[in-house]
Amino acid sequence: MILIAALPVVALLNVFGQRPTTSTASAPVASLHLYAPEDLRGGLIYMARFTITAHEDLKKANLILSRGWAESFTINTIEPSPIGEGSSNGNLVFQLGHIPAGSTYRFYMDFQVNPTNVGSHVQDVTLADGSTALLTIHRTVFVYP
Amino acid sequence: MDIALRGIVVFGFLYVLTRVIGRRELSSLEPFDLILLVILGDAVQQGLTQDDYSMTGALIAISTIAALQVFTSYLSFRFRRLRPVLDGEPIIVVDDGNLIERNLKRERITQEELMAEARAQQIESLDQIKWAVLETSGKISFIEK
Repeated sequence: MILIAALPVVALLNVFGQRPTTSTASAPVASLHLYAPEDLRGGLIYMARFTITAHEDLKKANLILSRGWAESFTINTIEPSPIGEGSSNGNLVFQLGHIPAGSTYRFYMDFQVNPTNVGSHVQDVTLADGSTALLTIHRTVFVYP
Repeated sequence: MDIALRGIVVFGFLYVLTRVIGRRELSSLEPFDLILLVILGDAVQQGLTQDDYSMTGALIAISTIAALQVFTSYLSFRFRRLRPVLDGEPIIVVDDGNLIERNLKRERITQEELMAEARAQQIESLDQIKWAVLETSGKISFIEK
């Protein structure tokens, strides 16, 4: 019985998700805040919010997401739509265009976890200006069965 | 986290609902009541787990409800004063062969229903009954003269 009672208590402590956390990376040129959950369960619908603050002009801002963002996750929507999309070394590349110095760019992605997608997934995020990587957030999500 | 919270809210609401509906309705399930119960279960599930298809989510929901059920029965066992609130109290509906109309009306029991219950226990008239008590389980106990 203690074991059964412990399960909701552990769940309330957010061990099984899905409360979002904030990850941050900064560089002299820009900073990136990622607000998204790190623990998920099959079927959950959730949002990832990327906030880019440009300290200097970013001529060709690119957001590069590792493949763990897309594999067995249904991407429901991306807002605002990037001006271009591509692939770089198997990673997803979203071309965001020009971000003037001092301005903030918010990028939203909505996902749903495919129920068979169990386990750990690397979800690194890199902000680049053209082909120059500026900063990277290293993170891992865990999908509970 | 959300499932445990929703489980607590749903359990609390259903607990109040069962107290409001009345013990008599819950103890005698007619075919329509059974269908309503299935619909109720489906409606509760939507709110409880939403789009969560995971086994973890199901275990959290079940264990939350189970833990709360054990907790409320422990409260009822441990604290005598809470018993009328949590479980209700037996209600006398016949006293020395006389119907107590106020109690019957409160529990929405007709004389015909009461006599049907009496006949099921080989009692043919009110005169034979010393006490008839609507128990907290919804069943009617008869004590013959």
